[in-house]
Amino acid sequence: MSEQRGHPGTGGTPAEGCDGNAAPYVLGALSESEHDAFVRHMADCAVCREEVASLQSVVSALPGAAPQLKAPPELKRRLMADVRADARRRAAQAASAARADAPRRRWTTWRPMIAAPVAAGFAAIVVLAIVLSGGGGGAPRLIRAEVTAPGASAYLTVSDEHASLTVSKFPPTRLGEVYEVWVKRSGNPEPTDALFNVTSRGDATVAVPGGVRGVRAVLVTAEPDGGTSVPTTTPTIVARLD
Amino acid sequence: MAGMFRALRSEAGTESTAALRDLADEELMQMVRRGHAAAFEVVYDRHADAAFSLAYRMCGQRALAEDVVQEGFLSLWRSGGRYDRNRGSVRTWILGIVHNRAIDALRRRTVRDRGRISDDGLAERLPAPQRTELEFARREESREVRDALQALPQEQSRVIELAYFGGLTHVEIASILEVPIGTIKGRMRLGLAKMRMTLGDPSEVVQ
Repeated sequence: MSEQRGHPGTGGTPAEGCDGNAAPYVLGALSESEHDAFVRHMADCAVCREEVASLQSVVSALPGAAPQLKAPPELKRRLMADVRADARRRAAQAASAARADAPRRRWTTWRPMIAAPVAAGFAAIVVLAIVLSGGGGGAPRLIRAEVTAPGASAYLTVSDEHASLTVSKFPPTRLGEVYEVWVKRSGNPEPTDALFNVTSRGDATVAVPGGVRGVRAVLVTAEPDGGTSVPTTTPTIVARLD
Repeated sequence: MAGMFRALRSEAGTESTAALRDLADEELMQMVRRGHAAAFEVVYDRHADAAFSLAYRMCGQRALAEDVVQEGFLSLWRSGGRYDRNRGSVRTWILGIVHNRAIDALRRRTVRDRGRISDDGLAERLPAPQRTELEFARREESREVRDALQALPQEQSRVIELAYFGGLTHVEIASILEVPIGTIKGRMRLGLAKMRMTLGDPSEVVQ
């Protein structure tokens, strides 16, 4: 039997454009660019999708082939300490949010997909409010952020100690990545649980969790899906508050 | 579902821990999404050994494997809402996260370093005890998967192990083995197809 065969039922040769990448794909053995290209290819290739589904079931069982070990107890202690601290922080944030006025809460909890179409209008209203009020008093403060994406823009809207970030014309993250919001006080950037992606038009609006009291800058980086605890890429957005 | 609400009502007490342990992973993930640390702990307890075993097999170093597992579970804690039951079990999802994190860690090293690591790993095994019926079933399942992998022709099992556990790309494997890329892809595909025939439907594994 030949070692290189194609899709089931395709006569033993890979279909045109498929390149036999289903197996390396499910094993995680494609380079990043090959992976992205194959994902795009699968969108139009039912044969590859079927083969991936078939092989994926085997790969899901492969972890069982590793010698089965006991996770070290100290690993759980460290992990749960981080998780409980984060849970307390979230609870404090929720309590803080509950004290905020209801209309703003409703705005900041809208999903980006819903909020995006009105985001530009919202920003315009905020600008108008600042112009009319002279930028002082209790009016929202609008901070233009530095961005790395050509043609894109981002604004941080700060009202009291709360803030939301509005981005437009931003590129989508790569497959398996998400935009993560960070706050920087005096030390290293601190992660938040604000993870987002942009609409097909590149828009999104996301609340900065926990407010911005003592925060010197709000940052956004592209990170692996699920976010990380320390930034792994250069910030694509930097909004300085001081 | 009723169990989940009981657990939610009494999340601070030991009773809640017992109630949580009766819940399915999918129900626990709904609670994790809402920031329920005790529910997360139960999910961790259920899958940490498998996650660490996979990470250790891939990284070959205990400290690096611990970092990978910790980062993977923290990611799960922070993205619990992203779990989609239509795309597989919680266990498969978790192990997928850990696998991707381990690949990231491995690919920050040189190919030569990665070749050495797997040998170190074999010298530092930490055997886990078999205590419960579920653990026994999982041990059996592991044995079947290992047997199926070892039953493959050596050139097929080798490329699958280098790719899945070694984090190598098909191009790197072709370079190491000095074999055409197309041959490597064919060996991967044939090996996985044979394992699928041997194991039946491995998606029905013990969760």
